[in-house]
Amino acid sequence: MAVADVAHAPIGHIHPPPETFVQKYVFSFDHKVIAVQYFITTGLFFVLAGLLAELMRAQLAGPNNHVLSVTTYNEAYTVHGSAMVWLVIIPVLTGAFGNLVMPLQIGARDVAFPWLNMFSFWLLPPAGIFLFGSFLLGAPEAGWTEYPPISLQEPAGTSMWCVAIFLIGVSSTITGINFLVTIIKMRAPGMTWTRMPLFVWATAVTAFLSFIATANLSAALAALFIERVFNVPFYDPSRGGSPVVWQHVFWFYSHPAVYIMILPAFGIVSEIIPTFARRPIFGYKAIAYSSTAIGLMSFMVWAHHMFTSGLAQWVQLPFMALTMLIAVPTGIKVFSWVATLWAGKIRLASPLLFVLGFLSTFTFGGITGIFLASVPVDIHEHATYFVVAHLHYVLFGGSIFGIFAGLYFWWPKMTGRMLDERLAKLHFWLMFVSFNATFLPMHWIGLFGMPRRVATYDPIYGETNLFISISAFVLGASFIVFAYNALKSAMNGEASGPNPWGARTLEWMIPSPPPYYNFDRIPIVLAGPYDYGQPLPYRDVPPEYLTARPLH
Amino acid sequence: MGVISALGMWGVVVFPIDHFLKEAAQPAGDIDWLFRFMSFFSVPILVYVNGFLIYFAIRYRKRPADSMEAVGSPIHDHHALEAWWTAIPAVLMLALGLLSYRVLPEYYGAQASTVTMEAIGHKWDFEFRYPGLKQSVYNDLYLPVNVPVTMDITSSEVKEEDAVIHSFWVPEFRVKQDMVPGMVVPIHFTPDVVGTYRIICTEFCGLGHSDMWGKVHVVSQSDFDAWFSKQQHQAASAGPSVQLNHGDAAAGQALFQQKCSTCHNAAPFDQKKVGPGLADLFDDPKHPMLVDGKKADPADAAAILEKGYSGVMGTMPNMQANGLSPADIANLIAYLQTLRK
Amino acid sequence: MASHALTMDDAQYSEQRDHRLLGFLLFLISDCIIFSSFIFTYLYLRSAAPVWPPPGVKPADLYMAGVNSIVLFGSGATMHFAMESFKHGKHLKFYWWLLGTIVLGSMFLGGQAIEYTNLIHESTLWAGSIYGASFFTLTGLHGFHVLIGVCFLVVVLNQTLSGTYTQARYFGLTAASLYWHFVDVIWVALFSILYVWR
Repeated sequence: MAVADVAHAPIGHIHPPPETFVQKYVFSFDHKVIAVQYFITTGLFFVLAGLLAELMRAQLAGPNNHVLSVTTYNEAYTVHGSAMVWLVIIPVLTGAFGNLVMPLQIGARDVAFPWLNMFSFWLLPPAGIFLFGSFLLGAPEAGWTEYPPISLQEPAGTSMWCVAIFLIGVSSTITGINFLVTIIKMRAPGMTWTRMPLFVWATAVTAFLSFIATANLSAALAALFIERVFNVPFYDPSRGGSPVVWQHVFWFYSHPAVYIMILPAFGIVSEIIPTFARRPIFGYKAIAYSSTAIGLMSFMVWAHHMFTSGLAQWVQLPFMALTMLIAVPTGIKVFSWVATLWAGKIRLASPLLFVLGFLSTFTFGGITGIFLASVPVDIHEHATYFVVAHLHYVLFGGSIFGIFAGLYFWWPKMTGRMLDERLAKLHFWLMFVSFNATFLPMHWIGLFGMPRRVATYDPIYGETNLFISISAFVLGASFIVFAYNALKSAMNGEASGPNPWGARTLEWMIPSPPPYYNFDRIPIVLAGPYDYGQPLPYRDVPPEYLTARPLH
Repeated sequence: MGVISALGMWGVVVFPIDHFLKEAAQPAGDIDWLFRFMSFFSVPILVYVNGFLIYFAIRYRKRPADSMEAVGSPIHDHHALEAWWTAIPAVLMLALGLLSYRVLPEYYGAQASTVTMEAIGHKWDFEFRYPGLKQSVYNDLYLPVNVPVTMDITSSEVKEEDAVIHSFWVPEFRVKQDMVPGMVVPIHFTPDVVGTYRIICTEFCGLGHSDMWGKVHVVSQSDFDAWFSKQQHQAASAGPSVQLNHGDAAAGQALFQQKCSTCHNAAPFDQKKVGPGLADLFDDPKHPMLVDGKKADPADAAAILEKGYSGVMGTMPNMQANGLSPADIANLIAYLQTLRK
Repeated sequence: MASHALTMDDAQYSEQRDHRLLGFLLFLISDCIIFSSFIFTYLYLRSAAPVWPPPGVKPADLYMAGVNSIVLFGSGATMHFAMESFKHGKHLKFYWWLLGTIVLGSMFLGGQAIEYTNLIHESTLWAGSIYGASFFTLTGLHGFHVLIGVCFLVVVLNQTLSGTYTQARYFGLTAASLYWHFVDVIWVALFSILYVWR
C-alpha cells in the first residue's frame, strides 16, 4: 500500500465518536479518556497509600508509641507498599502516561485493542476495593512481599490481597500486550525504530516486561491462594513445600516490576530534557539500547533480594555480578542526560526542575543499590532501613519525581490549560527538601541496626525517627500544593495552546486537548524528533504547528 | 568539584565506622572495607553528577536577551566520552565484584576447626543449642572471644504454627542469615572484641517481631567456661519447683510488662491481643478456664508458665522460651492475683 | 472496533489481522510463562524432596496418560488437516476434521477425569502432598485450557457454519488453531516431566 494512501487514511478507521455520557467518560474506548481515568484512580490510591504512610510515621515518631496497635501498623505498611507498587506506580506509568502519550507520539489514532484497553482500566477499581477492603477481614501483615509460611497463617484479608494483586496482574499483562502491538505495528509511516521518541522506546520495553514477568506473579499468587484456601502444599515446609520457592517466583516477577516502575520515568526524563535544553538528546541510541539492555537483564538479577535466604554460594555470585553490571547501562543514561544539559539553552520550567530533582535523587538511589548488590555488604544491609531508604530513593526519587515531571509537562496537552508555575516551583522545593530529609537519615539508622517492619524500636534511634516523621509530614503536605494547583488550573487555568513548551514530538502537533481521532491526517515522519534548530521533520502537519516555539 | 570530591573521598577513608558501629567479629572488618571502597568511588560520582547538573542548569540557562527560537548545541553524541563513561563504571563493577567474591568464602559454610552450634528461631525468641549442653539457652548467647564459631541456622518446625521465617542478625558482627524452617544454613564467624551486642530479627515473623531481639555476650575464654559450667549444673539439677507463697507482686508486674504484654493486656478478658486480657484471672466468671482447659487457679497457671501449653485454645511458651526462672513464675502469679480490672 | 470481518475493506482487515495475530501470540507467550512458573515450582520441590513420589503417595499411571496423550496429539493433527482443508476451500473436509478435533479433545478431557477419579480413589489428593499439589495444579491448569480450547473450537465451528469466514479472511480459525497447538505443546512438556521422568 502506498505511503500516500495511509497518510490520508479516513477518520473512519477508528471507533465511531462517543455520544452518550457513559460512552464518553465511563466506558470509553478512547486512550486519552482511559488515561485520565487511570490518573484519577491512581491519584486516589496514592492519597490513601500516602495517608497510611503518614500513620506509620506517626507510630514511628517515638520508639514505643501506641498510635497504632502492632497489628494495624503491620497492616499499614503492607497495604502501603502493595498499593504504591500495584495501584499507583505501575498503573500510572503504564496505564496513564503510556495511554496518554504513546499513541500520540507514534502518530496513531488509538491503541491496537481499544476494548481491551478499557477492560484493563476497569480491573483497577475492583482491585483497589479488594486491597483496601482487606482491612475489614484482617489485612495482610507481612509486607508487600508476603513471604510464606507467615503469609499462610494470616487472616482472610490476605486472600483478598491475593485476588487484588491478581486482578492488577491481568490488567498489566493485557496493557503490555496492547502497547507492544501498538508500537510494533501502528507507528506513522516513516517512523523507524530509531526515529521513535525515547518515551515510546521506554514504553515498549516496559510493555515487554509487563506481559512476560507478570505471568509469574499470577502463578505465585494463585499458588498462595490455593494453599491458603484449599490447603494445597507448595510453600509449607512441614509438608514438603518450600518457602524459598515463593521467593524465587515472586522476585522473578518483582525485579522486572521495579524496572516497569522506572523505565517509563526514564522515558519521561528523556522527553523533557531536550525540550527544555533546546538541543538534541545526547546519545539517543545509547539511551534506547541501554533501556533494552536493562529490560532484558532485569530478568537475570532477581535473587539479589534473596542473598540471606540460604542460597548456595554458586547461585549468589552470578546474581551479584549481573546486578552490578546492570548499573552500567543505567549510568550511561544518567551521564547522557546530564550531557544533554551541557551547551543547551535551558529554561528552568517546572517539568525540568522535577527532572533535575529526579537526576539527583535517582542517582543516589542507584548508587545505594550498588552497595546492596555486593553479597557481603548486603548481608549486613538486607531488611534494614538502609533498604527502605534505597527503595524510596529509586521509587520516590525516581518514579514519583518522574511522574510529577511528566504531569507538569503533559498537563497542558491533556487539559488544554497551564498549571501555575510559581505553585509548581513551591511544590518542587517543598517535595525535594522534605523528601531528602525523610529518607536520607534512614540510610544510617539502617546501617547501625534498625530492622524493617517494626512498630517499636530501640530508643537509640528515637531522635532520628522523630526527625524523619516530621519531614514525612511536610512531604505529605507538599502534595496539597499540587492538588490546589491542579484544581486552580482545571477551573480557570490559562489556555495552553497546542505546544506551550515548543517541543517537537508528534503529540504537540495537534490541539490541546486532542480530538478523539487525534490526527486529521496521519503525519509522515522524516527524521527523529530531537533536532532542535532544524525544521520539524513531518509532512502533513498543519503549518500553524510547525514553529515549535516555547512560551518563555 | 574536584576539591569537594577529594575532600569527600578522604572523609570516606578516615571515617571511623567503628566508632558508630563496632566491628566485633571476623567478617566485619572486610565488609566495612568493601563499604568504604564503594563509598570512596560513589563520592566523586555523586559530586560530579550533582555538580554538573547545577552548573549546567545555571551556566547554560536561557538568558532574557536570547530569542525565543534560541537553541542549544546540535551535538548528538561523542563516542570517546561515551566509551569512557561505559568502560570506567564497568571496570569499577568488575573490581567490586571480585573484591566482594573474596569475602564470601570466609563467611559461608561450616569449617572444620570451629565449634558448631545451632541457632533456632521461634516466635519470638532465639534458641541456641551448644554442644555438650543438654538444655537450650534462650536469647542470651555467650561466645568466647577469638574462637571461630559455626552456627547452623534454622527455624523451629516443632509446631506448624511456630514455623515461620526469622532472621539472625548481629549488626556488630555484620552477620545475618535468614532462619528458614526446613533449611539449615551454616555460617561462620569469629567474634574478636569482648562486649555485649544485639541480636535482631530482621524478617517479619508475626506480632512479636518488633520485640524479637536478644544479646550476644562475647567474653573471655575463662568467663565463658564459667558460664558454661553454670549452665551444665542448672541442667543437671532437678527442675526446681515454683514456690507460690514467695511471690512478689511488684516484681511480677515488671515482668509482666517485659515478657507478657506483647500478647496479653493487663485488662479485662475481652481486651484481647494475641491472648485474652488477664485481669481478674482467678475471679472472673468470663474466664473460668485457662488455655489448657483447667480451672483458673494459681497452681495450674504456674504449671502452664513452667511447661508451656499448646492446644485448640492457644499456645503458651514454656519457662525456657520465656526466659523465666521459678522465682519469676512465682512473682508473676502473685501479680496476677492482685491484678484487678 | 469490533467490525464484522466481512464489512471491512481489504486494507483494514489485513491490518486488523496482523495486530490480532501478534497480540494473540504475545498472549500465548505469557500463558506459557504461567505454566513455566508452576513447572519451576514442581521441579524445585521435586529435586529438594528426598524421595519421589513422597512416601505413601501413589503416582499417576503412565500407560493411561500415554494413551490420552496420543489422543491429544492426534487432535493436533486433525486440527492441522482442518486448517489445510479450509485454506484450500474444501469445506466439508474442514467440518469433519474440526469435529474430529473437538471429539478427540473431549475424549482427552474424559480421560483426565477418569485419571483424576482413579487417583482420588487411591488417596492421591490435591491437598494431600506436594505430589498432589504439583500434579493436579499443572494438569488441572492444562485441562482447564483444553476445556476452553474445546469451547473455542465449538464456537468457531458454529461461526464457520454461519459463514463468518471466507478463504481470504479467517483469523478466528487461525487463532483457534494456534491455541489448540499451544495446548498440545504444553502437554508435551507436562507429560515428559510429570509422567515420563521417573
